[in-house]
Amino acid sequence: MTEIVVIARLVPDLVEELEIAPSGTALDLSWLRVIINEFDNHAIEQAIILKERSGATVTIISPEAEGVEDMLFTTAAKGADRLIKLTGIGEEKPTNLSLAQTLATMIKEMNPDLVLNGVQAHDDITGDLAPQLAQLLDMPYVGYISGVSLDGGKAKAYKEYPGGILAEMEINLPAVLGIQSSEEPPRYVAISKVRQMMNSTSIEEIQSSELETESGVVIKRMYLPEAAERAEMLEGDEKEVATKITSILQDLGLL
Amino acid sequence: MPERIDYWGIPHQWGSPSILVYSVMFLAGAILIFRFYLRARLWWKVGRPESRWNKLHIRLYNLIKYSIVQTRVLRQKYPGIMHIALAWSFFIFFLGTALATIDSHFFKFLNGTVFSLYKLTLDLFTVVFIVGAILAIYRRYVTKPERLTYQPQFTWSLILLTVIVFSGITTESLRLAVEQPINGVWSPLGWLIAQAFLFTGASEMTLTNWHLGIWLGHLLTAAFTVITLPVGSLLHILTGPVNIFFSELDRPMGQLPPTPTGRDGQPVYVSMLNELTWKQILNGDACTECGRCQDICPAYGAGLPLNPKDLILGIREMLEETKASPKENRYDRSLLENPKLSKEVMWSCTTCAACITECPILVEHIDTIIEIRRHLVIEGMIDSELQDALTNLGQYGNSFGQSPRKRAQWTQEFDPPIKDATREPVKYLWFVGDYASYNPALAEMTTKTATVFNQVGLDFGVMYKGENHSGNDVRRVGEEGLYEMLVEKNLSALDRCQYQTIITTDPHTYNTLVNEYPFPEPQTILHYSELLAQLIRDGRLQFSNPLNYRVTFHDPCYLGRYNGVYDAPRFVIKSTGCELVEMPRNRDLALCCGAGGGRIWMEEGNIQERPSESRIREAVKLDGIEHFIVSCPKDITMYQDAVKTTGHEADISVKDLIELVVEAL
Repeated sequence: MTEIVVIARLVPDLVEELEIAPSGTALDLSWLRVIINEFDNHAIEQAIILKERSGATVTIISPEAEGVEDMLFTTAAKGADRLIKLTGIGEEKPTNLSLAQTLATMIKEMNPDLVLNGVQAHDDITGDLAPQLAQLLDMPYVGYISGVSLDGGKAKAYKEYPGGILAEMEINLPAVLGIQSSEEPPRYVAISKVRQMMNSTSIEEIQSSELETESGVVIKRMYLPEAAERAEMLEGDEKEVATKITSILQDLGLL
Repeated sequence: MPERIDYWGIPHQWGSPSILVYSVMFLAGAILIFRFYLRARLWWKVGRPESRWNKLHIRLYNLIKYSIVQTRVLRQKYPGIMHIALAWSFFIFFLGTALATIDSHFFKFLNGTVFSLYKLTLDLFTVVFIVGAILAIYRRYVTKPERLTYQPQFTWSLILLTVIVFSGITTESLRLAVEQPINGVWSPLGWLIAQAFLFTGASEMTLTNWHLGIWLGHLLTAAFTVITLPVGSLLHILTGPVNIFFSELDRPMGQLPPTPTGRDGQPVYVSMLNELTWKQILNGDACTECGRCQDICPAYGAGLPLNPKDLILGIREMLEETKASPKENRYDRSLLENPKLSKEVMWSCTTCAACITECPILVEHIDTIIEIRRHLVIEGMIDSELQDALTNLGQYGNSFGQSPRKRAQWTQEFDPPIKDATREPVKYLWFVGDYASYNPALAEMTTKTATVFNQVGLDFGVMYKGENHSGNDVRRVGEEGLYEMLVEKNLSALDRCQYQTIITTDPHTYNTLVNEYPFPEPQTILHYSELLAQLIRDGRLQFSNPLNYRVTFHDPCYLGRYNGVYDAPRFVIKSTGCELVEMPRNRDLALCCGAGGGRIWMEEGNIQERPSESRIREAVKLDGIEHFIVSCPKDITMYQDAVKTTGHEADISVKDLIELVVEAL
């Protein structure tokens, strides 16, 4: 049976207004809610599609975070077979390299045919996770994949390049793929199904090894984009802003 | 003294004609019962069990109200009079025959004045029948409304009934022509026809022979009608009352049943014929094919795939397919594969409840639709817009995908701030609802409402981020698990609040709070139109500037049809000094705006005329109407759009009830 491992991470939800912590070098996480990394969500969908198409065992590994259980049960409701919560993550976000080291040790034992991960996450500061993982697992890696199919010991993957060029590539398995989008948009799973999973499935907890939080990269300042001098910011509520835009367009003779 | 003679003119040499009549009719009756049994046993055999034997007195009352008096049938003038004329005349004929049997065998009472009145009544109802038959013929063969089913079996039924009545009256008139009894004129129609027979100069012998022939014809036609009743369009005479008797009594219209569980304790998501309850299957067999639901359905009117009549008949069709191949005994047939029950059909419903309000035999369309939608949701067979909305609702508690903390952003301009009901006691807890909270175009209306509340010194508060979508339409989409989650969240927030009354500006929220939320204690819940009406009556809300607008009012489905709140908004409108002109489709006939049942979150589909556009066109046809008054936040966006797309911006403007109040203050 094909073994597929997906790493799914929770990231800050951009629905909330981002605030910088008093330190000035990090986000203020106290108000922030987290949500599944969209690219990881596509990686999960791709794994489920592969399972449905030709059979596979899908394992989801997620570093612990608030709400990670709900997220994992949701993947189970979609069809994931094994749920693993990686514990021992501290307050501070570990570097992707040390996360990759812990994950690589775990994943090696699973002997997967395919490791899928979202190609990026918007809180990746210390490099993308997937290529680092591929290096540690000594597997080939391709990123920005939109669609995978399995054929014997090989995977066929599609990758879009700038300029509208599409490449179809063959990859020897086992391999790590950085998913940009799944073939089909991530599916909806009914809450009652998720709730059913909560009663019928369990989440394995695996303690991570010591994680590094510092790398050679030091954040000196984190800040929200500032308006450049040549830009004019329109202030006010929706209605006022809309009125201003209308009058600007009128002045330009476009309306 | 005139008295009833048994079997006048029928020869007795082969024994009493009673033997013939009772043999034929008992045999016919037995065949009827057997055929009906063959049909009826399938309901219980195929369908899921469901108990509907409680509250027998109400069931009996409903039986009288809906199948004898036929109040629902009478909601529409022409078809109502037509059907009543046919049905009641046959009730009377049936009663007349039964009385004759009693008179003949048990208790002689049809003599003298009683007998004359008896004959008069039967004769008059013959005239009533003829009126009904003419109306039916004119309707079926001349005006031909689209909603009827045009199949030979309906023609056959009409022919059979007409032959029974005509042979009956002819038999009588032939007897009158020969016998010429002293009370002959008490059968005015028969007497008149008798004069015609006499005019022909035919001998008594000839007339008596004709009498015998036609009497036999009368008997045999009646027997034939009885025998064929369970396989023709007259079946509804049996199934209609049965359906009415077993109609839902335990839930108000605004309350959906929870997801049922099967024998194995697992939830049942309906997608197969045998996953429907026997009552849902009976709906299919009981349908009279009158097409009232089709006529009034906003989805059908808009050209969407849903036809509520076909939906119900689709169930019958599938049951008949099952019957056609009894050896296979395949009851697990996929409903969705029948084009009348496809998923596109299911997603077209706005749950406006017009069909169930109109159905003369109390078919429950919406419960079936929602149960099938639950299956579609579990299987992920939903469109991407609905998927986004549900994902947002699960994640953030609102369909807009906004932060829960932004729910009360509209309150920012209020100083002193609007009370947070989760922190301090309030008299009125305002459940604002998603659209009024998040839709930027509605923020103005929401602040106006709060301003009015402030002006009358109302002690009120909102739940800020503690409020979640009420779930009314989430439930109607078929996402029962998400609905339960939202209810839990709202109930736990409400539990933290101290309040006396819940008020809401949203009829959808109102419906689920009133009918579905499992509150631990009884609640007082008011729609803002009811609150405003109360404030006006108490003298707390006084108007100094009468408006003198000519306006019309749109009844929201979940306020009007679902909960019967028709008068409060009208009272408020009139109190502001407006002249209210009703649209032809008002109160429980109101056309849905098209947004309900989660339709507002779905892809629109291939629509010909939006219900909201049809509604605006209906309103502008009224003479000199300036404003189209609504009392539901979704209605504001729906109808403002419709006014633009129909090009009636210069003719009419959409106003919320609260805007009239603000202007009139």
